[in-house]
Amino acid sequence: MRVLCCLDGTNVEPISRATALFSPAELTVGLIHVIDKGPHHDIEHTRERFFRSPVPPASREHQMLEVEQASAKEIIAEGLRYLSGAETLQREGRPEREIVNAAAEWEADLVIICPRAEYRDEHKIGPKSVGHVARFVLDHAPCPVFLVRPINRDQFPIKR
Amino acid sequence: MFQFISVPELTKTLIASFVGLLTLIGIMARPFRWNEAAIAMAGAGLLLLLGLISPLDAFSTLCRDWNTFLFFLGMMGLSALAEAAGLFDWLAVQAARFARNSARLLFFNVFLLGSLISMILSNDATALILTPVVYVLVTKLRLPVLPFLFACTFIADTASFLLPVSNPINIIMLSHFPMDLFTFLRLLLLPSLVVIGINIGIFFLLYRRELRGQFKLERLPPADETIKHRAYFRYTCLVLIGVAAAYVLASAARFPLSLIAVGGAGLLLIGALGWKQSTLRETGKRISWSIFGFIAGMSIVVRSIEDTGLTARFGDWLLRLSGGNSFGSVMIGTAGAALGTNLINNIPMAVVMTSALGSMQHAPPAVQHGFLAATMFGCDLGPNLTTVGSLATVLWLLILRRQGIDVSGLDYFKVGVIVTPIMLLAGALTIWLLL
Repeated sequence: MRVLCCLDGTNVEPISRATALFSPAELTVGLIHVIDKGPHHDIEHTRERFFRSPVPPASREHQMLEVEQASAKEIIAEGLRYLSGAETLQREGRPEREIVNAAAEWEADLVIICPRAEYRDEHKIGPKSVGHVARFVLDHAPCPVFLVRPINRDQFPIKR
Repeated sequence: MFQFISVPELTKTLIASFVGLLTLIGIMARPFRWNEAAIAMAGAGLLLLLGLISPLDAFSTLCRDWNTFLFFLGMMGLSALAEAAGLFDWLAVQAARFARNSARLLFFNVFLLGSLISMILSNDATALILTPVVYVLVTKLRLPVLPFLFACTFIADTASFLLPVSNPINIIMLSHFPMDLFTFLRLLLLPSLVVIGINIGIFFLLYRRELRGQFKLERLPPADETIKHRAYFRYTCLVLIGVAAAYVLASAARFPLSLIAVGGAGLLLIGALGWKQSTLRETGKRISWSIFGFIAGMSIVVRSIEDTGLTARFGDWLLRLSGGNSFGSVMIGTAGAALGTNLINNIPMAVVMTSALGSMQHAPPAVQHGFLAATMFGCDLGPNLTTVGSLATVLWLLILRRQGIDVSGLDYFKVGVIVTPIMLLAGALTIWLLL
């Protein structure tokens, strides 16, 4: 079974726990992290508004690219510490689109993803608990999707 | 051409208005993504070619705007050379240090830093230099990028009327309608603080979920590593402190602010060359030269329209619409400037409004002040509605999305539509109360 795990820099622990549910003998794990290029386009639009060429000066552009790459490598390396031997896939672009395309190209049998990047151990249930990336992947993935929600028993019972 | 052929005045007026309108539509729509400066200069060139404005009049119009041209040059030079010293990177690391590992506090500090930079170095520096610096910072800290980017882009304009130098638009307006520093601060300081407060408050509400976390400061290099050359860095700090103080004194004494900006940039350039931290070529590459063509073209186009009496009529119409009272002047001034700035960008709107306000000299002082303060306020803050540039850009992005191309600029628009009308209304009411 080929399982593609989507890393966002905050979810390596729940993702690795989820993979433990499958038999290791039959498992091929892939780790994917996508560098979101959306902010780059936002910066380009802003520069155009101020009558500048869209691309920032070379030194600044280089610094931005370098930091993105370093951060992506760090996230993937962190994933490998939890899931050693996994294949790694690094992509750039719109995360949601890159994930579903990579799942198709890599011939994933399952995509494991968390609802959204969580920067604090405080998970809320509710209509906005699934972010736009996970929502897009659920809607467009070429295979089953395993959505790893955090345990939230303390927020129950909900209103009937 | 019409200088050699006898043509009725009405025909000249119609042709000048048509060329002016065409230029404004060109800037608004930017067909084939043409550069705005090229469009403005083409309009001005056509008017000169047709003899609808004499070369002497065009030249005197440009000479009259010397303060604006020099200010743009000085402002861009100051920012570029401060960036070369590593000042923005150093300030961003300090903002993270003072945040004590809290994403919320860092978000707040970014707003404060953006306000400070806009106040002294203008909105241009915050939007263009601080934004990528903060992007690098939050990427290193593994924090959500979008709220911080939006914070930089929005605060650039929201904090751009704390001082006359905080936005070149203020300089364009004040070069034609001088206002002493006390009156400027009396009318615009409190509204500035009100809208900055609203901006921060709404952003904290919108991004409360993303900002709940902590970050590890160890992910950042020590602040000293961001300094490229210690002596030049110290020198830059000293020069900028001197420039900030000189701005305040010059505003109070009605001394041309452009001379302070250019003088400060000159001092930084001497330092940068002396310590080999930048070259003339490198500094020149960081300056948007096309903006001078854009302002020159627009000034000539608007001057020729002014000669037809159209802008005076526009001013009279605004005055009538305001009911000739201070409340109306602030509301109409703000709404008109904000709307216009989103249609044709804020620089041409400021040039058009400057010409229109010239016809209001018979109005009571409170109404004149109301229109002037509201125009600066609307032109400065208005771009936050469509941060991507103008309504034309938003429409273009919408068309792209319909064609299935995913675009990020619309995310800004969604936030701008929520925040900006509230800020415009609250700020305008505050200005009215202070009149």
